[in-house]
Amino acid sequence: MRALVIDDSRAMRRIVSAALEGFGYETRQAGHGQEALDVLQEGYVPDLCTIDWNMPVMDGLQFVSAVRANPAWRALTLMMVTSESEQGQIVRALAAGAHEYVIKPFTADALRDKLALLGMLPEEAVL
Amino acid sequence: MTLAPDAVARSAQPRLTIPELIDEATVQAIAGEAWVALVGEDEVLVPVPGDLPAETLSAWVDVVGPWTGSVVLTTGRQTAADLTRSLLGVAAPELLDHEDVADAFGEIANVVGGNVKAALPGPSTLGLPQVGEAPGVRNPEDVCRLEVLWRGQPLVVSVQGALPALSTPHPNPPHPNGASL
Amino acid sequence: MTLAATSFDWVRQLVHRESAIVLAPGKEYLVEARLLPIARSMGLPDVGQLVDSVRTRPSPESTRRIVEALTTNETSWFRDGDPFTALTSTVLPSLLSARGPAERLQIWSAACSSGQEPYTIAMLLEDALPNAATRVAITATDLSREMVERTRAGRFSQLEVNRGLPAPMLVRHFTRAGTEWEVSPSLRRMVTASECNLAAPLPRLGPFDVVYLRNVLIYFDLPTKQAILRRVRALMRPDGWLFLGAAETTLGVDDSWERVVIGRSSAYRPLKGN
Repeated sequence: MRALVIDDSRAMRRIVSAALEGFGYETRQAGHGQEALDVLQEGYVPDLCTIDWNMPVMDGLQFVSAVRANPAWRALTLMMVTSESEQGQIVRALAAGAHEYVIKPFTADALRDKLALLGMLPEEAVL
Repeated sequence: MTLAPDAVARSAQPRLTIPELIDEATVQAIAGEAWVALVGEDEVLVPVPGDLPAETLSAWVDVVGPWTGSVVLTTGRQTAADLTRSLLGVAAPELLDHEDVADAFGEIANVVGGNVKAALPGPSTLGLPQVGEAPGVRNPEDVCRLEVLWRGQPLVVSVQGALPALSTPHPNPPHPNGASL
Repeated sequence: MTLAATSFDWVRQLVHRESAIVLAPGKEYLVEARLLPIARSMGLPDVGQLVDSVRTRPSPESTRRIVEALTTNETSWFRDGDPFTALTSTVLPSLLSARGPAERLQIWSAACSSGQEPYTIAMLLEDALPNAATRVAITATDLSREMVERTRAGRFSQLEVNRGLPAPMLVRHFTRAGTEWEVSPSLRRMVTASECNLAAPLPRLGPFDVVYLRNVLIYFDLPTKQAILRRVRALMRPDGWLFLGAAETTLGVDDSWERVVIGRSSAYRPLKGN
């Protein structure tokens, strides 16, 4: 399975990619929403996108809206991974079309749990 | 001179200051959870003040909403580098450059700041992390300052308001000539 | 005071035996930090003495507290998934048709810990049934008073709500309270928490339609496991449902149960005529 990790922090992109690779994903990275859209438009269509909220050029919410507006990308699973944790914001993100929401700080176990909920763990990890 | 009704209402509203909104224990809990997830699961922040070294680095995020200000992390440059190395884990390069440190330290500020923001009255927006010399404290009454030791090294988390103090008139100070104002 | 190597080793072996989790060398600090509250609650000054005490006077309660304190990472919502989705997919429809419309279904979360399990059940029922609080009552019990109080409080940290709780359910059933998330009043109305020692004669609870007895039998020896299952069964309706932990079974312990496969999990039902 393939993932696109979208975060303006290089460190966080590394952390999330490493965790996903540990679960069996192949990953690519993007530093903001527009870069991520470019990756999708070039033809790399992942199964999962992890998306930070606050990023320059195009933020995570705008990216989610753009993806959900495009029927060609209907099968993408969109998971926010962000320190934004006001209740209203989680509601907004889900309403914009995000499927799941991981609040930073998170552990690798938390990420795995969320992926399991979505049926998106490449190998069925037995706890 | 009469004030417009809404200006009267605005000036009558007390401005929110940090001591009414959040305390050190809450900031400690937020920073502690961030450290466990980002820096290492055994990592502990000990709430003991220490003297920051001469060469410090700060990372902060701005919060704009019912309360406006910044969440600022400040520590010694070496500590910031150690934090970066811990955060990156096996992905840490042999030699860390300033960009690595700014990125990692900035992300820690993002995580701590985002959670501090969520504990304050909202809705508020969170700015992108900035790294460098800390913004000064504008209003000493509008600050929550947490001093901790991480692996024995001092670190400060400051939740500080962006607005200077309102100047309040002194209640009838005596005029040098004896008449009251 | 640093933990002696022999004490740390004993704790490592205990944790591995009971949970298959490996505590790597170098985690002495973690062991000290997590076990000190337990030592103190037993009037002991440090973890070394706690270890000595438990080695000379082993008890399932102490064992469980120690293992849970070191493996709390495992406390998640919807743990293992299927035993909970089974509730709405299979168990609830079956019970609703078997019971009268005015009968309140009784569910028991028999090792509720900090409350994730009973509130997981409450959320599922709230989403599945109109007026769930009038149709279902959830009894949550635990040996530890601290855990019972945590369950009553229904407040969870950011890290805790990240563990296996679907985001749409988080926003639907919780509100932020400072840095924590608190369950909604309607969920709290469904759950009553109290202390209960499974290894002793049980208080008059139930009778229960559904029992969750997950990951607690493993701490007991065979005779005690059997006694617990007998006592639990005595508090259940004859057509009730029992859920055990993912790796647990009544096989080889108590043959008066019938195993029913639901999805990728199993439920156990009292065998008729026993």
